[in-house]
Amino acid sequence: MSEFVKVAKVADMPDPGKLTLEVEDSVVVLFRVDGRFYCIDDVCTHDGGPLGEGRLHDHAIACPRHGAKFDIRTGQPLTMPATVPTVVHEVRVEGEDVYVRINEA
Amino acid sequence: MTALATETSFSPASVAAFLESRNEPGWLRDQRRAAWQMFGEMDWPGRRDEEWIRTDIRLFKLDKFSLPAAPEAAAAAPSSVLSEGVELAGASVSLDSWPLSSRLDRRWEEQGVLLGSLDQLVVEHGERLRPFLQRRIVNPYYDKFACLHTACWSGGHVLYVPRGVVVDQPVHMLSAMSDGRVDFGHVLVVLEDGAEATVLAETAGFGETDGGLHCGATEIMVGRGANLRFVNLQDWGKGVWHFAHQRAVVGRDASLQWTVAALGSRLAKVNQHVGLMGEGASCQVNGVLFTEGKQHLTYHTLQHHEAPHCHSDFLYKAALQDRSRTVWRGMIKVDPGAQKTDGYQRNDNLLLSDHARADSIPGLEIEADDVRCTHGSTSGKVDDELVFYAMSRGFTRREAVRMIVSGFFQQIFDRITIESVRDALGHAIAARVREYS
Amino acid sequence: MATDVATLSPHDRIGEINKYDFRTKSEAVFKARKGLDADIVDQISDLKGEPAWMREFRLKSLGIFDSKPMPTWGGKFNVDFQDLYYYLKPTDRQGRSWDEVPQAIKDAFEKLGIPEAERKFLAGVKAQFESEVVYGSLKEDLAKKGVIFTDTDSAVREHPDLVREYFSTIIPPDDNKFAALNSAVWSGGSFIYVPPGVKIEFPLQAYFRINAESMGQFERTLIIVDEGAEVHYVEGCTAPMYSTESLHSAVVEIVVKRGARCRYSTIQNWANNIYNMVTKRAMAYQDATMEWIDGNLGSHLTMKYPAVYMMEPGARGEILSIAFASAGQHQDAGAKLVHCAPHTTGQIISKSISKNGGRSSYRGLVKVEHGAKHAKCKVVCDALLLDSKSRSDTYPYIEVAEQDVAVGHEASVSRIGEEQLFYLMSRGLTESEASTMIVNGFIEPLVKELPMEYAVEMNRLIQLQMEGSVG
Repeated sequence: MSEFVKVAKVADMPDPGKLTLEVEDSVVVLFRVDGRFYCIDDVCTHDGGPLGEGRLHDHAIACPRHGAKFDIRTGQPLTMPATVPTVVHEVRVEGEDVYVRINEA
Repeated sequence: MTALATETSFSPASVAAFLESRNEPGWLRDQRRAAWQMFGEMDWPGRRDEEWIRTDIRLFKLDKFSLPAAPEAAAAAPSSVLSEGVELAGASVSLDSWPLSSRLDRRWEEQGVLLGSLDQLVVEHGERLRPFLQRRIVNPYYDKFACLHTACWSGGHVLYVPRGVVVDQPVHMLSAMSDGRVDFGHVLVVLEDGAEATVLAETAGFGETDGGLHCGATEIMVGRGANLRFVNLQDWGKGVWHFAHQRAVVGRDASLQWTVAALGSRLAKVNQHVGLMGEGASCQVNGVLFTEGKQHLTYHTLQHHEAPHCHSDFLYKAALQDRSRTVWRGMIKVDPGAQKTDGYQRNDNLLLSDHARADSIPGLEIEADDVRCTHGSTSGKVDDELVFYAMSRGFTRREAVRMIVSGFFQQIFDRITIESVRDALGHAIAARVREYS
Repeated sequence: MATDVATLSPHDRIGEINKYDFRTKSEAVFKARKGLDADIVDQISDLKGEPAWMREFRLKSLGIFDSKPMPTWGGKFNVDFQDLYYYLKPTDRQGRSWDEVPQAIKDAFEKLGIPEAERKFLAGVKAQFESEVVYGSLKEDLAKKGVIFTDTDSAVREHPDLVREYFSTIIPPDDNKFAALNSAVWSGGSFIYVPPGVKIEFPLQAYFRINAESMGQFERTLIIVDEGAEVHYVEGCTAPMYSTESLHSAVVEIVVKRGARCRYSTIQNWANNIYNMVTKRAMAYQDATMEWIDGNLGSHLTMKYPAVYMMEPGARGEILSIAFASAGQHQDAGAKLVHCAPHTTGQIISKSISKNGGRSSYRGLVKVEHGAKHAKCKVVCDALLLDSKSRSDTYPYIEVAEQDVAVGHEASVSRIGEEQLFYLMSRGLTESEASTMIVNGFIEPLVKELPMEYAVEMNRLIQLQMEGSVG
């Protein structure tokens, strides 16, 4: 089980906002929506596209390549052509700092 | 978290100093400078590039590595796998991209064979080797990695065999890398008309989890009627970034048997191209990939039939464990005049775990009609019935899977005509089979 | 007499509405012009009297089209998007007079035995053609079973809830640039709904309801096969088809529900100036079967990869693809199978022929997602090169992320065997006849799956292609 790693300062994240980060050996996208933080893999399960470069609307991120949308809270695909969920990572906020624990699954 | 970028070791100033220090012929220095210039003008490949769309290198940072430099005295290379128990005609060894040692039996020296550090031999025999290094067998500007290599290569090996000379014992080339260091070795193999040779080229780390950067190129020229067997065992540490451009050109009535075994590295992106340039040329490639952990190995191969009556046969077999991933992309390209081409290509993937992923992209682009070209690809798992059968005969599950994996690779082993290599590979693979409950 | 949509009830017979009547009011306002912008899209929506959601959808799709880059793979695309008409009233579509129709095309009609009435339509001389006599009695039968078979424009107005539930959920406009284009300017195409348990024995053909609009550039087809139902739909025809506009971009979305079966057959033989960029995708659910039969004979460039997503256990996808590329043609066609659930099976058979400098490319995908245990999939691609001027490519992509599968692919490229030719010629056939026979044998697996009259036409067409007198 990997550890929580400090990745950002709360104050640096706009709301709504997203940030692509390298955490340990993974590239992930950190989101802040309605005051809460979420984190998923920066990988669209349809064709490997960069989710972090897509458009965020509400709690859905759309992959710029073919438009597949994912729920940033659960990683579940919301539209075609994605049919498989992307990996979700645990986020914790302590004071001014945001921590992420990479999900090894 | 990403480290803040500090002053890079690959700055124009440090690269200029590196080139100065090398004391090489002017034409070679010019070649390096031109490549360094191109390096500065190109971008690192991105996810939008068709060639890199399946190979994510965002976590690769050139800044973490340094230019090759002479190692401390009394450095020793790790033991070799391929040369054990083999009588060699000679050997060339490098460590951390720096020549370490080389030797060649007198009788080959007397016949004009050159074997050893390319760095040294290009100075001593510049005019002999120049045409080959200028021929651009590998395109020096193919991508940013190629430019980096062409500018900064060091610790390379060369084998040159003159016309008609048959070197009947293998030569060994070993490139070793310490943890966190680099290997920018350039391998040049030239067989003039009617020559014959066998090259065992090996790369190795010291510790299994060692990191580092390999940015290499291999150029092979097989002259008219010549015959080369080239074996490449890649066993870098599991933390090594491995980028390589490899290309061979095969002349009229010449033949090349090229065996590739890829076991190590954290991420590999290897282009392996063969150009069949003269009528009657033939090439057989045997590829073995065996991955584990979170390894990601990408191999792009090309069989380019530029002349008629040529024969090419590429067989790649991959076994995948844990969460590893292989991407094999092969192309048979037949030019309009290349009639009577025989082109074959096959990729078989054995998925040994539930979280592995194999991508297989065979390809054909055929512009001559009097040809026979086929390709095939299979992907699947170990046959459970075979495992139960073996276990019912008293083998453990692990032993059973090991036998099945060996059986899977048997077709490749049968094509390798060098017994010592067969044995070495067989052992290396058997040792890596993991226990899955 | 104009029909007021508001007075329609669900029981009105299919096809009774003459949508041209409906449109008469706004015809005077619409001026056909080249180019693509929000204005044109608005006008298209106006003309069709669409609900607000469809107008918004079109406009949003236009934005997506503008922002998407062209694909960097496939054929050479030489069309200036702004130099085309994106909507023409049927009366505007009369491209040319009968005299202007090339003799080769007239000869083809003759040899293929195309009825007189259809020839002028196909040649772009006549604006519309409706096979009322044939279709009339079928309509009654279908209506009794609750089957809906109409054009998509009508479906949007008459069955909005049903359409809205599925429309663009299988192929969202973001999917690719040409899907976005179609989503903005689509017109015509078929809408089919088959109720649970209903099995339609005869193939439904778009040809029944041909008119210049629905046989047009940007058809949008949506087929919903409810649980346990069966339908076979046939699109296109073997006769060479002329079109005023050189860019065609159709979208076909299909849902095959539990235990249902759907077969969609296409014979595409567009004239040699057409760029034919098509997105076709079906979702197959539990124990459902989807079959694509795809014949590509015409057009200057076709890019089309019918797909089946197997979403639930027991789903099956089968794709049979034939491409014939002659001088000046590039068929870049193939198939996609995506296994998203355990116990799914798939098969792709592709046969391609290149002749006279033509280029046939197979491009396909087999993807097995993690968790799709016991997936079985086999792909076979055979290509025939008939001469040294022609070209054949194969670009299969295979991605396997699940261990417990059996996935195999094989492809081969060759020419007609000399021994075979020699044997047939020694039996008294000319070289041309012998080659034709061999080519017919080569594509037989597809031809035998077509409805009879298509099969006959197909064989005759191959004969013509081989003789070099057509295409």
